[in-house]
Amino acid sequence: MEIKLFRKWDIAVIALIAAAALAFAYMSFSKSENPQAVITVDGEVIETIDLSAVREKIVITPGTDPKVVIVAENGEIRFESAECEDKLCVNSGSLEKGGDTAVCLPAKTVITVTGSDVDAVVY
Amino acid sequence: MKKAAVAAAAVFAVLLSVFVFYDGVLNKTSEADFFSMKTYVSAKVTGYESDLCTAEIQKLVENLDVNILSRTSGNSLVSRINKNGGGELDLQTAAYFSVLLDVCEKSGGAFDFTLGGVSDLWNFGSAPSIPDEKALAEALSHSGYEKISLSEGRLSMQDKAAVLDFGASGKGIVLDSVKAYLVTRDIRNAVVSVGGSTLLFGDKDFTVGIRNPEGNAGSYIAKLHMGEGCVSSSGSYEQFFEENGKRYHHILNPETGYPVDNGLVGVTIVSESGLLSDALSTACFVLGIEKGSALAAEYGCTAIFITEDKKIYIEGDADIVEITDTTYSYGN
Repeated sequence: MEIKLFRKWDIAVIALIAAAALAFAYMSFSKSENPQAVITVDGEVIETIDLSAVREKIVITPGTDPKVVIVAENGEIRFESAECEDKLCVNSGSLEKGGDTAVCLPAKTVITVTGSDVDAVVY
Repeated sequence: MKKAAVAAAAVFAVLLSVFVFYDGVLNKTSEADFFSMKTYVSAKVTGYESDLCTAEIQKLVENLDVNILSRTSGNSLVSRINKNGGGELDLQTAAYFSVLLDVCEKSGGAFDFTLGGVSDLWNFGSAPSIPDEKALAEALSHSGYEKISLSEGRLSMQDKAAVLDFGASGKGIVLDSVKAYLVTRDIRNAVVSVGGSTLLFGDKDFTVGIRNPEGNAGSYIAKLHMGEGCVSSSGSYEQFFEENGKRYHHILNPETGYPVDNGLVGVTIVSESGLLSDALSTACFVLGIEKGSALAAEYGCTAIFITEDKKIYIEGDADIVEITDTTYSYGN
């Protein structure tokens, strides 16, 4: 008697596994392309902005104490103003490329642009 | 023929699934960002236990800050020592403090962790201003590492008014503690930054940017190509204020109590030890290029000095440094 190595359903299952594996591989190896500005307050992401897609000026006020105002326009994002004492975040200037980061410690607010070519920047 | 094709497809599918599964599990990356140590902390861990590690790193850093190093948390070890003029240290903390005292001595006091009274007067980090001269002289008279002694796990202060402050070394202590934890876990690599002080952990070719003193926070002037290690910088661009047209930054000369003014804008130290990289970056900034290079060499660390006139001087392993901003050039 001939022993069948594979039956119809086996092939279907194999095809399914292969498709799932390929899809998963595709998802894990093709990460997003455009630099995204991620705004977090106390570790929570409150806003993600695709900087290349910003057409009109976007103003974000995360409702922190002290108050900070964040502005995105022309492919850049910055702390426009802050009611803290040292203004280190405003002095950080405009962020545009991957890895750029500005932090407001009193307001626990961080803007980071994703996709850096270095593992870290020391300062 | 058909069977062979199906069998090949099956083998391929299984291998691919196994590969993708292992890659997803073993190279899984987890990140945590939080505020502690009066700064912004970020941890990125890759490997099987990455989720566990980022959660534990956060606990570890917060615990070290609140229970050991903070001067503002009333119940921390350092707060109690400052209040009581001394105290018992656990073994690990005693080991860290003993290294710090060694750096104080070898740097001839250019690094000093008893300057709390002086830095309080400058009040960097909240509302900085030029201190009153008399008050500064008074605070200076109570500082000085020679007033500290460490014996059998007990730290004593000869001058009870001295104020221990770990602003220039605490981040390094935290990095060493994080590293000691990570070696016990099953991970591939990790990058942990406490403020600008960074631990690069694991078997990987890391690239680290040295911040542009004149640019935005993320822009850098040079890249370091390195394996596992710690990198810290001290820069006059980090925290400063201007008064009457003069710029005052936060790196204070322990001898005068005033900001160091020696033509340097930044010093970066690469070391196996977080504590050494952090403490030596301050010590070398205060000492200047010549004496700072000698000190870095004594500890076997690489030091990168950046001057106001955009020259970069390197002591140690110059091969790891790649200048990426062409307005800067090698000084030596």
